[in-house]
Amino acid sequence: MPGWHEATKELQADGRVTMVGIIQEQHPQRARLFMQWKQMGWPIMVDARNELGVAVVPKTILIDEHGIIRDMRPPRRGITEVAEAFASRSFEPPGVAPVAATAAPPDLRVLSEATAAGTVDAWRRYAGALVDWAGPERLGDAVEAYTRAVELEPDDGPAQFGLGVAFRRRFDSEYRHPGDFQSAVDHWGRALSIDPNQYIRRRRIQQYGPRLDKPYPFYDWVPRARADIVSRGETPWPLPVEPSGAEFARPARTFSAGDPDAPEPDRDDRIRHDARGFILARTTVVPSEAKPGATVRVHLDFRPNGAIGAHWNNEAEPMQVWVSPPVGLAVDRRSHTVENAPAATSLETRTVEFEVQVPPGAAPGTITLPAYALYNVCEGLDGTCLYRRGDFEIEIRVSGEH
Amino acid sequence: MSTPQTLVAATALAAALSPTVGGAARLQEGEPFPDLVLPSMTDGRPMSLADFRGRKVILHVFASW
Repeated sequence: MPGWHEATKELQADGRVTMVGIIQEQHPQRARLFMQWKQMGWPIMVDARNELGVAVVPKTILIDEHGIIRDMRPPRRGITEVAEAFASRSFEPPGVAPVAATAAPPDLRVLSEATAAGTVDAWRRYAGALVDWAGPERLGDAVEAYTRAVELEPDDGPAQFGLGVAFRRRFDSEYRHPGDFQSAVDHWGRALSIDPNQYIRRRRIQQYGPRLDKPYPFYDWVPRARADIVSRGETPWPLPVEPSGAEFARPARTFSAGDPDAPEPDRDDRIRHDARGFILARTTVVPSEAKPGATVRVHLDFRPNGAIGAHWNNEAEPMQVWVSPPVGLAVDRRSHTVENAPAATSLETRTVEFEVQVPPGAAPGTITLPAYALYNVCEGLDGTCLYRRGDFEIEIRVSGEH
Repeated sequence: MSTPQTLVAATALAAALSPTVGGAARLQEGEPFPDLVLPSMTDGRPMSLADFRGRKVILHVFASW
């Protein structure tokens, strides 16, 4: 795509062609950083739910001055000549002029009323409009509307995918519910199982998934982009959702169990347990279930429990997480350390990611992986600061397919 | 008989329902590009390919990875 930009700079400057983008990403502001990095200033539309229905990206489409698609597979070589020929050609207007949509968001009230018909189309459209236009405070309504759609038609791939998008958006918002990320992964997986050739759906899972299943790192370009932008004297566009470990991780061809000699920090279980639940641990497993012998990536989130005024104490040793795989289950890393925030106390979500290989002979069902975290936490603004151990279990679903 | 209000509502509904089949737009050479209205990446305002009518457009559908 930057190749097209370079090859058509003069045509763009002369107004003979206009470059437009549609991005298929869960986190659209990352594309904005990418455009800033590559110094490409064309208009971009966000299609996180894949309303366009493409199966793969990137895709370049030539559209004439009447809005008619003229080429959906322009050659990748000789771009300058292709673009020049397209710019020079005059296309006949169609017999019936296409209706030009006014670029106005859909009327949510009208779409809401249309759901009275009780059709999957009506619920899907209403849900999609809520995701795109109604703001984060209505993502719950979007989840509910998409849920109605998939209850009516469980094999509706766009509705299943859109429901995953809505869940992940809510996970990234202040309105998040426990389990939102796992629900997103579950519905993306369902959408992919409906159409395994739908690579937009496949990539959405791989983005957060295990290294053995990744085609590329996804967002490893972000640090390089930021450095280049700063070196130009500009301020990099801020990202509301920073890429996580999985989104930087390089693909791997083999799985290797790591840190075999790592010392277990509380092997004798001597640290007092967090009986009050100062810290809440949430688990997401990607993909939702694994075939025997396959790998999954586990995302752990740790948040101070706001209901009892808990917060991290950063004036002590960093948080540690230990994973204790049962016999037969391999993890790429058992010991994890999460550095403290710079301030004396803080409320941030702390994350740990690691990968697990399901035994090749595993039976269908659920494998439980015990783990615990050791952390310094304070109660209330002037409360006592304590060192506590929080135990939790990670459940990995094993499918019956080999 | 249709009232102005029902006509407006029917038009809005038709516009909302027209370009997709089974939740996905149809893309075919020789056919109009679907009248999708999507949020702009920069400010969230509604955008459509129809905004560029009269100009030759090279559309890139992509992701930044």
